[in-house]
Amino acid sequence: MMIWNRLKYLWPPRRRQEERDMREELESLTAIAGAKELVNLTLAIEDVRATWGWTWLDSIYADIRYSLRGSCRHPAFAAVAVLSLALAIGANSAIFSFADALLLRPLPVKNPAALFDVTSTTPDNPFEGISFPDYRDLRDKSRSFSGLAAYRLATLAVAPSPTAPAQMCFANLVSDNFFPVAGVTPVAGRTFLPDEAGASTQPVAMVSYDFWKQHYAGDHSVMGSSLRLNGIVFTIIGVTPASFAGLERFAQPSLFVPLGMAQRLDGETADPLEDRGRHDLVVKGRLSAGASQESAQAEVATIGAALAREYVKTNRNRRVAVRTELQRRMQQTPALLALVKMLMGLVALILVIACSNVANLLLARGRTRSREIATRLSIGAGRSRVVRQLMTESVILGVAGGVAGLVVASGGIRVLETLSVPSDPPFVLGVRLDWRVVQFSLLAALGSCILFGLAPAWKVVRTDFVNALKAGGQGASGKERIVGRDILVAGQIALAMVVLIAAGMFLAGFRNMLVMPPEFRTDHLISMDTAPAVVHYSPEQTKVFYRRLVDRVRTMPGVVGVAMTESLPLAPSQTGVTVSPEGYQFPKGRETELEFGAAVDAAYFSTLHVEIKRGRTFTDDDRAGTRPVAIVNQQFVKTYWPGQDPIGKRIRLDGAAGPAIEVVGVAKTGHYLAVNEAPAPYVYVPYEQNPRSRMTLVVQSMGDAAALAKPLREAVRSIDGNVPVFNLRPVAKLYESRVTDTWLQFFQMVGTMGFIGLALATTGLYGLVAYTVSRREKEFGIRVAIGASHRDIVWLVERRGLILAGVGMAIGGVLAAVAAPLLAAAFPGLGVPSPAVYTLVPLALLMVSAVASYIPARRAAGLDPLRALRNE
Amino acid sequence: MDLLQGTLDMLVLRTLLAGPLHGYGIAKGIRSTSSEALDIEFGSLYPALKRLEAKGWLASGWETSEHNRRAKFYKLTAAGRKQLVRQHSKWADFVNAVGRIMGTLPEVKG
Repeated sequence: MMIWNRLKYLWPPRRRQEERDMREELESLTAIAGAKELVNLTLAIEDVRATWGWTWLDSIYADIRYSLRGSCRHPAFAAVAVLSLALAIGANSAIFSFADALLLRPLPVKNPAALFDVTSTTPDNPFEGISFPDYRDLRDKSRSFSGLAAYRLATLAVAPSPTAPAQMCFANLVSDNFFPVAGVTPVAGRTFLPDEAGASTQPVAMVSYDFWKQHYAGDHSVMGSSLRLNGIVFTIIGVTPASFAGLERFAQPSLFVPLGMAQRLDGETADPLEDRGRHDLVVKGRLSAGASQESAQAEVATIGAALAREYVKTNRNRRVAVRTELQRRMQQTPALLALVKMLMGLVALILVIACSNVANLLLARGRTRSREIATRLSIGAGRSRVVRQLMTESVILGVAGGVAGLVVASGGIRVLETLSVPSDPPFVLGVRLDWRVVQFSLLAALGSCILFGLAPAWKVVRTDFVNALKAGGQGASGKERIVGRDILVAGQIALAMVVLIAAGMFLAGFRNMLVMPPEFRTDHLISMDTAPAVVHYSPEQTKVFYRRLVDRVRTMPGVVGVAMTESLPLAPSQTGVTVSPEGYQFPKGRETELEFGAAVDAAYFSTLHVEIKRGRTFTDDDRAGTRPVAIVNQQFVKTYWPGQDPIGKRIRLDGAAGPAIEVVGVAKTGHYLAVNEAPAPYVYVPYEQNPRSRMTLVVQSMGDAAALAKPLREAVRSIDGNVPVFNLRPVAKLYESRVTDTWLQFFQMVGTMGFIGLALATTGLYGLVAYTVSRREKEFGIRVAIGASHRDIVWLVERRGLILAGVGMAIGGVLAAVAAPLLAAAFPGLGVPSPAVYTLVPLALLMVSAVASYIPARRAAGLDPLRALRNE
Repeated sequence: MDLLQGTLDMLVLRTLLAGPLHGYGIAKGIRSTSSEALDIEFGSLYPALKRLEAKGWLASGWETSEHNRRAKFYKLTAAGRKQLVRQHSKWADFVNAVGRIMGTLPEVKG
């Protein structure tokens, strides 16, 4: 109540009302009592204002007004300062939103800090999923969690209504307690009941908010109506809230269905939920009150060890790990972590450059203001009062920079938003300007205020202003302060050099990537994914389907050739093969390795121009019943059989005791998941010997590949209209978006950072040199008067700028030399420290520095000696 | 006569117990009740009024005064009454304690 009473007086309209009231009251009292009786009214009014806390507020208002007036008098100063901060804070905020999308953003659930990730770990893979039987045991036996939920990400063919064609959508197959554990309540309808968890003849599903809006226009009557998932009819029972985008980082599920439906949806003969060897569930646990991550880890480790003893066949060497969401993301995607660290590091450097820029501007202004400050001190303002005034100015600059920075950031975020992975259904990065970004910007702005505001304020505390007054604005410790500003500018140039060299390394790496051949053909090719398993084809039916499809497409007009593969190189997801190459000694405790691999048909190598270096390609004779064969790539040979002849060697699939296949050829190593990946081993197996449920057709066209899209879709429909078609696009498009676009955006990002860094540092240098010139006008005047030439003066000024730049570049060079190997290690194939970068960056810096100091130098040389001297 | 810190507040509250008064009326009231012994300067009284009002112990409103002039009248609020009781008992304790020490005027030789 008391606080409220005080606070309400801060409200400006209320305050004006009170002021008016007080004036009226005192007037009426004066009329009643006579002026003689009521003395000292001015003091009384001031006292009253102090009672209301207005004096304090008034002085803040005065500070702000004063600062704004000062900024208006020096618009160039204010503009440069705010612009510097806006660029730097904007870059930081944009990168923060990027990092947020990649790693940092908490799960969209209630109290995300209490939700932990539970995985199984093996010596081969520290992030394996958990099988349903293991999940059930963990859920029943652990006491550390108030709830353990399991789910699996799946791609389903979804028909929103009985007549609509099926489209591929992400879905989560979830345990019945999924939503209660996540703490998510539906916006419409209800979540799953415990008895809806299992397989059912009348299955139910929940849809996401976006799906509801898109397909049912947000209609509540949709509850109870049906939709088809993989051909099975489900009843819609609820809608998840818009804020809940699922628990995956990059895939947003449109549907949620009970895990118990897995067997029917996948059309499997055995129930996957009874298979303890199928470690494919993501498990999240909400910590119960009183439990800690450590205690939970200890408990599940005990349970996991018991399971490993009891079920040796499936759980040998298998442990259970409890991680926070952030720990999981950072450990699971170290490359993203490195990228985020690098980008955050670069923008942090830029912020430091910008702050030292502003500090420098403030110091320069503080010097010309030292007389004003001295006057204020001498007529009785306390030093703390003056420091507060200066800090107010800094905070105003910082807040203005932060707000303008948000505008810059929103531009950057708009570019980053377009980063995506080409796939059906689409993966999304989720970079967005949200409240977290705004908070971050303001924090960065306030942090900057401290960085750049302290130096000028510190100066006020220390300066001897009596001398400043006497010296007429010249200040006493002038030399010392110039040295301080020199250090700031040299530091800026050093940091700009580091930023530029890092950016240059990226540029060089990017160029390498662009000139790097894809190692397979991309022109005149179109690819198409189909999923006959979705409509419950048996393996035999699937084989027949693909044979008919290939035959039909081969005879289509405009088609030169057709091939099939399990996964196309550089597609966003790649298939793998578990191998144990004969004669290779794995480290202790391991006997297999998961390598990239795919089942391909005989036409694959010739259609995609994948070069066979040794041995032979697959032929039509490599079919079921003949000797099982394989083709490996050069990197596979290098990794497993260095210096040996691979032809005739054998590889066991799916474990050391699995079926053996014989290597008959060696293919050239290509790029499989990304162009910047380290060379990876790859295994090709013939499709006829290893039939798969889902294949990609690659069709070579006579003319424009895109023109084949429609006939290809027709070809599938003519065989079976229920089989979903997706990822139908020219291979060149895929290559572009996977290689060119993404990296071009990264390059633009890093390039922009380098440019901002350079611009800020140059502004700093220019500012300092120009300032020095204005301070030395008299000296230059005298020099000219006694016969110094135009060129002498220019050189005098220019030399100073170049020395500063030189010192900065030397420091920057040392810093970059330390940083470059770290960068190169963090980004294989990207951070290439090339000699060209080390030559070009210093040259560019030198040139820009020369220009930045030439402009004030010319002004110095053009000074009229008489006027310069008279100015004193 | 100088006033002890906080005494002024007490005096104002006590004076207003009799009924609402405007600012000058309060000053006059204190002066006449104390038989002219306490002459509070209006410059000190007025901020005290505003302070008590901000604390919620007084409420004010425009009314017509005895000479048919508009003036702002102050009156005690319920919180103000409670505060007066509190201060009064404190003050009584204080006077008692001091009285016990001082007793009747002693004869001082010297």
